[in-house]
Amino acid sequence: MKNRIEEIRKGKGIKQDEFAKLMGVSRQTISSLETGKYNPSIFLAYKIAKYFEMTIEEVFIFEDEI
Amino acid sequence: MKQDKRVYISIFWIVLGAVLAIWQFAGNTDEYWSGLGIALLVVGVLQLARRIKYHRNAQYRENIDTQNNDERNRFLSARAWAWAGYLYMLVGCIAIIVLQIAGLREISQTISFTVCALLIFYWVSYMFLHRKY
Repeated sequence: MKNRIEEIRKGKGIKQDEFAKLMGVSRQTISSLETGKYNPSIFLAYKIAKYFEMTIEEVFIFEDEI
Repeated sequence: MKQDKRVYISIFWIVLGAVLAIWQFAGNTDEYWSGLGIALLVVGVLQLARRIKYHRNAQYRENIDTQNNDERNRFLSARAWAWAGYLYMLVGCIAIIVLQIAGLREISQTISFTVCALLIFYWVSYMFLHRKY
């Protein structure tokens, strides 16, 4: 699943480690999310979207994966 | 330091380890138990040192809490355990056949018991989780 976390985060001028702290996860988790290596739980996805004041669909781009 | 279960567990390992080590030095048990005692003592001391650091150092505490609660870490840990289980099954099955051919039937049988036990644990865990979720 692709996402716009890096783009939005950088747009807001937040560093990766600061963002990780705000989300209560490690910096590596944010890095993995941004590179698309790891898909977040619905809770983390919601938390991220809420922090950006966006909907989950605006941050995460769902692609049908089989 | 608030009530911390891990501190008590560390103290328990230290006391148990010391008792086993002293017991051997008094000539009551063999070296196996004293070795185990010293190992428990070392583990207990290291665990206790980490817990003391956890309570005294706010930055360290924050890092540890983040690592423990990080969902990716939990995901990785669950995946690593699953891989370890698969690998154990695979290596165990190969070892059973090879040892059987080599005539080491007793060792082969012991490994086959552990493989069967792992399969039973998997099945019980699966049924438990199936009911839970």
